[in-house]
Amino acid sequence: MTEYELLRTALIIPPRARSVLCFWAALPGVVCAPFIFWQSLHAGILFCLLWAGAVFALRIRTCSFTAALSPRNLTVHAGVAFPVTRQIPRRAVTGVHLLRTPLLWLAGASVLVIRCPGGHLLLPGVPAVQADALAAILTEEPS
Amino acid sequence: MTAEKRFHPFAALHILRKTILVYLLPLVQVLFGRNWDALRAALLQALALFALLSLISWAVLHASRWQLDDKGDLLVRWRLGLRLDRTLRVGAVAALTIDRPLLHRFAGASRIKLYPAGQSRPMTLYLTRQDAAWLADRLLPVEQPSFHKPRGGEKLALAVLGANGLSTLALLALAVRQSRSYAPDAQTLAFAHLSQLAAFASRWLPMSTAWLLVLGCALAGASFARSGAQVAHYIVWGTDTQLGSRGGLLRQYEMRLCRRELNYADVRRSPITWALHYCPVFVTAGSCKPELPLFVWREGTDLLQELLPDIALPPDAAPDICRRSLIFFLPSGIPLGLCLLLTAVSRYTLPALTVPLLIPTGVFAALCAAAGVGYRREGVWLRNGQLTLRRQHRFHLHCVCALHPDLCLTAAQSPWAVAAQRTNLTLSFPGRLRFKVRSVAWSELEFM
Repeated sequence: MTEYELLRTALIIPPRARSVLCFWAALPGVVCAPFIFWQSLHAGILFCLLWAGAVFALRIRTCSFTAALSPRNLTVHAGVAFPVTRQIPRRAVTGVHLLRTPLLWLAGASVLVIRCPGGHLLLPGVPAVQADALAAILTEEPS
Repeated sequence: MTAEKRFHPFAALHILRKTILVYLLPLVQVLFGRNWDALRAALLQALALFALLSLISWAVLHASRWQLDDKGDLLVRWRLGLRLDRTLRVGAVAALTIDRPLLHRFAGASRIKLYPAGQSRPMTLYLTRQDAAWLADRLLPVEQPSFHKPRGGEKLALAVLGANGLSTLALLALAVRQSRSYAPDAQTLAFAHLSQLAAFASRWLPMSTAWLLVLGCALAGASFARSGAQVAHYIVWGTDTQLGSRGGLLRQYEMRLCRRELNYADVRRSPITWALHYCPVFVTAGSCKPELPLFVWREGTDLLQELLPDIALPPDAAPDICRRSLIFFLPSGIPLGLCLLLTAVSRYTLPALTVPLLIPTGVFAALCAAAGVGYRREGVWLRNGQLTLRRQHRFHLHCVCALHPDLCLTAAQSPWAVAAQRTNLTLSFPGRLRFKVRSVAWSELEFM
């Protein structure tokens, strides 16, 4: 994938990657739930409902996630009820971390962490081809 | 490559200072138990621990070195069993400060803090005075500076200090007056109307409020005294590559900021600055955020442009406040409402409390008025390619100009903000310094 193609394409999280992210988010809840049920049935039900709500909110957030590359900036937009837009200049990028677990590999996606002096930007579950191209573009010397 | 140099013995004291809790915690436990035998044992134990840690600190001090390599990069080597080397590139120093408190001056030591560009944690070294000056000149040399020595600044600081001292004395007199056996009638009234707790409050609250005020003013006075002492022998300079300042009577202080790494310039306005026609200008670089202004600028003079040629201040135009969030008034509005309610209740039940309660009510009312200024004036503008913003924080209106090109922006919205087409904008500068502007209209953020 070339820079020109990335400039014309918005990055989104594909459905399979969304499922992986939701699975990750649900996992701690599934592990903790038996211990909560052990204490009390009502507490367990409440915990499960809250955790399911949190996972659902994450699902909605991943559905609304878009990242757009422009000649100067990388802009990420996420969220429906509480939308957040983050913009970092491309020349400010100091490092890119690329993470791919077996599940993400099956889903054909990667997690990208982009570091810059003012903080970092997380792009969870973007398609692997686009993630590789974006990492290469962001780490090359600015012309 | 320069010869390896040692740190000042104050470096060992700095390490020891961090371990003070290790000796104090067991002592506090035993002291509360009033077990004197155990206290003696704990003291002996603390003494042995102190001796051991002193030995370790001195060993670290004698085994550790620093030097500059051929390229001028700083190499710091800490040794004690394990080896910890740190390199700081000469071009990556965003700012440095040299502190010489009174104790350090007696011992011939200087604390030099180096702020690497883009990192949030500075590197602190304790060196001899000559070594610190030499290192500072190698990392950020002062070449052909144009000096500016504030003349009215000292008078200004002294005037502010004097006024504050007088107000402290006046409040002290008020506190002494409030401390007298307070109004038997107030106590009787309280007993007649309310419980013993209310009587207790009527006896002690006016006094403690007054003493609290005295304490607050004394602290403010101490702060002004410190700032006054800092202004003595104060000098600001600018070169093509850096900005710097030096000064201090008892505690000597020097700061050098690399122009290439400047984050923002913050011109603060408040009722006092409006009265004096002087504004303090704070400049940051890397994670170096000085608590004292770099210089004081008289509005209309060229000093600001001379020292910061690229600066642009926010325009006088008011931002769009249509459907703006009332969140501005929340932090001061809630306590103001509570204080007003308490004042109204105290007028009928505990009249002795009414006057003391009026003081916090007045403070919160003033904060509410300041919030009103923020509501009408806060905003973000792009001027001559520079991002400028206005932000109200308590009584200060920060007029900020972003000087660093690598600026990260975050716009966060709530459901209400989405409906009103508004957003909170956070500017993140290198070194993790942040500025947040509340409830900005999306239409004003064309650069995003």
